[in-house]
Amino acid sequence: MDRRNFLRAAVKSIIAAAAAGVAAVAAYFMYPANVRARQLIYCECMDEDSLPKHGVKRAEYRFELKGKEMTAAVYLVNHEGTLYALSPVCSHLGCLVNYNRHTDVFICPCHGGKYDTAGEVISGPPPAPLARLPMKVENGRVYIGVMLPAVAA
Amino acid sequence: MGRAFDWLDKKFHIKAPHKRFLKRRLPEGLSYFYCLGGAAFTSYVILFITGLLLSQYYIPSEMEAFESIVKIQREVHLGWLIRGVHKWSATLLIIFILCHTLRVFISRAYKSPKELNWIVGCLTLVLVFASGFTGYLLPWDQKAYWATTVGTSMAATMPVAGRHLMYLIRGGMDVSGATLIRFYSFHVLWLPVTMAALLWAHFHMIKRQGIKGGL
Ligand code: FES
Repeated sequence: MDRRNFLRAAVKSIIAAAAAGVAAVAAYFMYPANVRARQLIYCECMDEDSLPKHGVKRAEYRFELKGKEMTAAVYLVNHEGTLYALSPVCSHLGCLVNYNRHTDVFICPCHGGKYDTAGEVISGPPPAPLARLPMKVENGRVYIGVMLPAVAA
Repeated sequence: MGRAFDWLDKKFHIKAPHKRFLKRRLPEGLSYFYCLGGAAFTSYVILFITGLLLSQYYIPSEMEAFESIVKIQREVHLGWLIRGVHKWSATLLIIFILCHTLRVFISRAYKSPKELNWIVGCLTLVLVFASGFTGYLLPWDQKAYWATTVGTSMAATMPVAGRHLMYLIRGGMDVSGATLIRFYSFHVLWLPVTMAALLWAHFHMIKRQGIKGGL
């Protein structure tokens, strides 16, 4: 390689390295700074007495996110004596499903996915059943477990 | 890289004319003073890139502008660096473009046939000042607020329609949230786009007319 070609290659690589550096800094700058691991947090939901004796009941629970009070819905189901909490988040693309009392199914408003009260898919695009959320009862209060961003220590 | 570019060039035919321009012999008697324009343009490019990045986090609202700047400084990854680079290249751009103007003036490069390029350059100079002025308000702190109050009130000293011109610039009777949005829009949209067009014309004319005298 003669001197001319060497210099040409050197200049090109310096420019390429500088461009790559700028791109890396830009990507790092744009990457959100508040990404934290999620952890299971139990949120107070209702009185033990208000749990459904049979069938489906919609309930809400409160939690704090970035210092803001938020509410989210959950479906509590009593299916022949077994009690569980179903997340209303559709497994297809994440819309919130509604419970239809007359047909006894969960219907997703976005693409018409249908789930039965066990959360299993009846029809439509959803690839998986509705998620069951962990729940626990303490001192007569029902708590729902959700994955929330860990609170900074 | 080379091959991909050649494929594009088959459609654009941009390589040959630029090669001729980039590989031409430079006239005698050039010095580093002829690099000042290039230095100013480099500052413009850096401002453009860091500005694109800052706009990802800056919020041009009365209530949130200052807070978003604090967030950029404290929380955003390398936010202090990007904002610092933006601020310092703005200062450098002003210095370089003034020196460049001075060089053109001293070497009498504004004379025919390059008078139009001198005019385009002067317009760019005005827009650079406007960018600095509008950008100064965006941190939305006391200094920014009062600098803009004073700066815009100068418009009111113009005879006949001065007061109305000032209201027009402020987007209201006083400097307010409306002024902030107005200045933000000028700073990130109107001015950079207009400057890009002017710079294209500036460089196009240099290619056609040469650095010293005609080609
Ligand atoms: S998101 Fe529920 S069906 Fe598509």
